[in-house]
Amino acid sequence: MMLRYAAPPPGACLRDEAEGLTLLYHRASGQTHILIEPAPHILDALADAPMTEGELLATLAAAFEVNQAEAVGERLAELVAAGLVSTS
Amino acid sequence: MAENQDRPDGVANTDRRALMLGIAGASTVLTIKPALAQSTGSVLNCQIPVPDPGRTGMYIAADGMTVAANTPGSFPPAMRPFTGEQVKRALRGNTLPGTTYQQSQAYLNYIRRLQAGQSGFTCFASLQMPGR
Amino acid sequence: MTLACGPVTFRIGSDWAAPIKALDALYSDYPKPQSTIPHFTVRLEATRWWRRWIAPSIAISGDFRLPEVAPLALGMGLLAAEMAMNLQVALGDRRFLLIHAASVEKDGKALILTGESGSGKSTLAAMLALKGWRFIGDEFALIEPATGLIYPFPRPTSLKNDAIAAILALAPADRFGPLLRDTPKGDLRHLVPPSDAIARMHEPARPTLLLYPRFGAKAAVRDVGKAENFVRLTQASTNYVALGETGFQALTRFVSDVPAIAVDYPDSATAIRTVNRLWKALG
Repeated sequence: MMLRYAAPPPGACLRDEAEGLTLLYHRASGQTHILIEPAPHILDALADAPMTEGELLATLAAAFEVNQAEAVGERLAELVAAGLVSTS
Repeated sequence: MAENQDRPDGVANTDRRALMLGIAGASTVLTIKPALAQSTGSVLNCQIPVPDPGRTGMYIAADGMTVAANTPGSFPPAMRPFTGEQVKRALRGNTLPGTTYQQSQAYLNYIRRLQAGQSGFTCFASLQMPGR
Repeated sequence: MTLACGPVTFRIGSDWAAPIKALDALYSDYPKPQSTIPHFTVRLEATRWWRRWIAPSIAISGDFRLPEVAPLALGMGLLAAEMAMNLQVALGDRRFLLIHAASVEKDGKALILTGESGSGKSTLAAMLALKGWRFIGDEFALIEPATGLIYPFPRPTSLKNDAIAAILALAPADRFGPLLRDTPKGDLRHLVPPSDAIARMHEPARPTLLLYPRFGAKAAVRDVGKAENFVRLTQASTNYVALGETGFQALTRFVSDVPAIAVDYPDSATAIRTVNRLWKALG
């Protein structure tokens, strides 16, 4: 059973950009987060539909030259710990 | 940026930028923690007296209005103010500590009727904020 | 008694007459509140019923309280009342984004000074207010979320220790409250804002420059980036989290619109020169 990751849909968060960082307000939790690459792109990719790690990597690779793909698990764990990504 | 040697169609990738998933010794997500005075603990530190000091000695009717002492069907003032946390829980279905069910309902009705300027109003208003 | 400062009205109740008398004197230049419905209630209460008369000790109370604040002796009733008012506003106000900062205004534009206690922001703001700037506030900057404007909240400035002498040299003696010795923060004296600032306390201004002053360091000036500024201000705000979405939008707009500069200074003369230079450079 592969774990699927899901991000809040568009409209669930408010965003602002500052010097290459993303300021993010998550409405459901009332929390504010500061994100650096690649976190915002991961959230964008997961916003449409839940995905496994592999599907996420494939989605990212379609838009970017992905380096250090093996770190994707760590990046997802950070987003889950912050309450921005849920698993099922 | 690594040169892309193994894409079968041989198309140059100059129009895709690199996305590094690894990051040395840091996290990509920083969650803002509230500063001391604004922590959710501040709800614990706010209090609501029933009734407010301007109405000391008055009793609380079932609908939350303040009435003369010993009016039949009314309840005596609360022994001590309730904390924001206690009222928050009571609004979700618990009874206020040290009260019977009906007494708790009367007190909650009183609290719901609080107006600006009465003791406890800003505390009650802060319980209504999102994210609490 | 009730008193009004800017957009906030307080009702102050006390178990003793002395603190009320002292407040009346300190706020004698302020117009009486237009509305009798206060936004916040403050009570100065005896910690035990017998403490009204024996070794009188004041616990500050109101809608919000911090249990760890130690009670104060009656002689410090004025300090207790001021702290209590600050506390109610800090924890209870929802109409404005509150930033722990001093501020002054010139030509409709506001200069905001933010930082920790000891950064010198209060003293600097008090000095600028005596050198042609309009005093807007000492403890809190009130930012209206819908417009981004800063609304004046010109309560008396708490001057501590060395700052008292420095400002006594610049302002008339009748603008000062009584000297409070041996408070938890050392010697303390309140400075009443200039009459003009009090008269104009309902006139908002457009925030134009944010400074992070640091007293006691070699002179240095450094731009503060938008992201760093945002994070630091979430910590300098007493109600950012409680305001939720409104807070996020107000603060992101603020850091987008208002440049931020960190200013280290060895003495106030240098600070004032630097402030004037930076202000002129904005055009």
